[in-house]
Amino acid sequence: MTDVALTLQSEADQKAIAALRRKNAVWRRILRDPPAAAAALFLLLVVMAAIFAPWVAPFDPYANNMRLRLCPPGGERCAAFLLGADNQGRDMLSRIVFGLRATLGMGVLAVVVGGGLGALIGLSAAYFKRLDTPLMRLVDVLLSFPSILFGLAIAAVMGTGLVSLVIALSVAAIPSIARIARGAAQSIMQQEYMEAGRAVGLGDGALLWRYLALNCWPTILIYMTLQLGQAILLGAALSFLGLGAQPPTAELGSMAADGRKFLQIAPWVSTLPCAAIFLVVLAFNVLGDALRDALDPKLRQ
Amino acid sequence: MIEPLLSVTGLSKHFPARRGVIFQSTVGTVRAVDGLSFEVAPGETLALVGESGCGKSTTGRLVLRLIEATSGSIHFTGRDVRALNRSALRELRRDMQIIFQDPFASLNPRLTVGDALAEPLRLHGLASGAALRRRIDELLAEVGLSPWHALRYPHEFSGGQRQRIGIARALASRPRLIVCDEPVSALDVSIQAQVINLLQDLKHRLGLAYIFIAHDLAVVRHISDRVAVMYLGKIVELGPKRSLFAMPRHPYTQALLSAVPVPDPAAQRVRIRLAGDVPSPLNPPRGCRFHTRCSHAQERCRTEEPALRPIGTAGQVAACHFAETITAPALVSEAEPPYARRLAALRKLALA
Repeated sequence: MTDVALTLQSEADQKAIAALRRKNAVWRRILRDPPAAAAALFLLLVVMAAIFAPWVAPFDPYANNMRLRLCPPGGERCAAFLLGADNQGRDMLSRIVFGLRATLGMGVLAVVVGGGLGALIGLSAAYFKRLDTPLMRLVDVLLSFPSILFGLAIAAVMGTGLVSLVIALSVAAIPSIARIARGAAQSIMQQEYMEAGRAVGLGDGALLWRYLALNCWPTILIYMTLQLGQAILLGAALSFLGLGAQPPTAELGSMAADGRKFLQIAPWVSTLPCAAIFLVVLAFNVLGDALRDALDPKLRQ
Repeated sequence: MIEPLLSVTGLSKHFPARRGVIFQSTVGTVRAVDGLSFEVAPGETLALVGESGCGKSTTGRLVLRLIEATSGSIHFTGRDVRALNRSALRELRRDMQIIFQDPFASLNPRLTVGDALAEPLRLHGLASGAALRRRIDELLAEVGLSPWHALRYPHEFSGGQRQRIGIARALASRPRLIVCDEPVSALDVSIQAQVINLLQDLKHRLGLAYIFIAHDLAVVRHISDRVAVMYLGKIVELGPKRSLFAMPRHPYTQALLSAVPVPDPAAQRVRIRLAGDVPSPLNPPRGCRFHTRCSHAQERCRTEEPALRPIGTAGQVAACHFAETITAPALVSEAEPPYARRLAALRKLALA
């Protein structure tokens, strides 16, 4: 019972295989794609800046100076403010850095909470066939609810603020991720290894986690990355409407709303936060797409 | 008579055929398996053969209770399989295992081979820590793989290797019965022989009993002790391999056997060709289920369903009204093939 293919694999081959594995690691495959690499690098910078905002920001985002009111970028009055000053003479750059912190933070939190719940709902619906109809109809109800309306309702009950904003965004993220997770899980349920796992004698917990979730997570993760862009956008929109962060909190959406009144005389106050949102959402979408290509074994060469 | 390891009586599985999306209505039942009875002795290999769709694989899964039977009883070492609760079922899975047909689909791609083999060992509390590692190495060696394969993922193996990993997983809990669901039909012919030999080797060393589901009669002839021939969810003939292959009694078995290729280019054989397709199990024919395709069918076959009854002295049973009168056509012609005759003539010339 000797197998030629087996005896041929020596130490050297082992090393070659390990090298090949490293070469084809997911992050390396992402970096080989220029737009994705740019997006990843940009997001890395943005995230680092957001995390270390107090050290990165050149000035205090809440220190106002009325003499520097609506000073344009590169203006003589405020040469130290690279992106100019807003209607209260606060440094735009510092406010954007702190704004990213709030915006990204609520987006990530919402997608982790909402996506986690959605994934749990989707996987359970696929695994326990009895729960499929009730759970998915519940998801349909959530899906048919406009998220802005839901944000309004939450704000009416809990008051405006970042906490109610995160709740609204989490709920908004649940339905689409639940559907994606259910679809992915249903195709995994058809696989023979699910039956093999049952034949071994594994319980529901082990099958759900080690067999179903472990095989679905790439799909879910990709979708969560794409959803992050959506959550940030929706969060900014709700803040713009005054349902999220309250002034003077630096948050990109509410900053855009504040600057709206000066759009004709000082366009940068509103457009710069919007540009920041645009770039971050674009980068998340590009990265999500690249992640999908990198994690899909069928597209591997 | 030895106490049977597994005994199955009147086992049936009916799948409801539904129609409609929201308001589903049952429009019929597919009788995938319909009243099977058989026994498997310890250390014995029982082959289940038949065309695709005859219920072989369903039978294997019913025995393991991977799907629930509609009626009938399954007894395994004195336990009533159909009445077991969750924890008792887990105990059963320790003693009864399955090897799947498609080695590419039956291993979880996210678990290393070592993790996959550790699962049953941990679950049944058979080994832990250093003993677990040792047992995994032992299992890999048992199926002809090396210890360092434990760290690899299934996609890094060939089909034959994966099937051996599947076998190792089935062996992990030291079962007494393994259901082999067409374990070689997805493999190359050269690899098939390896896996078959491995299965036989393991059987002799570990005293395993197999339910060997197959449609390749050459493989069945090689590996089995007894053979059950299935047609449309029923056993039509069951008997010891030797007598069944030498003297098939049921016309369906005869037709199946006549289709086995004989490795002799000059062999003269009588081929029994079956006309038409297998009737739908949704609406099986009345009387004998085989009468629509049987060349011996008579009026009685269309109305009265034949029961399995002993025929001959070798312990063979067949479900045919005319099993005694239908003689099997000579599968390999008695006459000397022309090729052998020519060879003999040449040899005579050379000697002269």
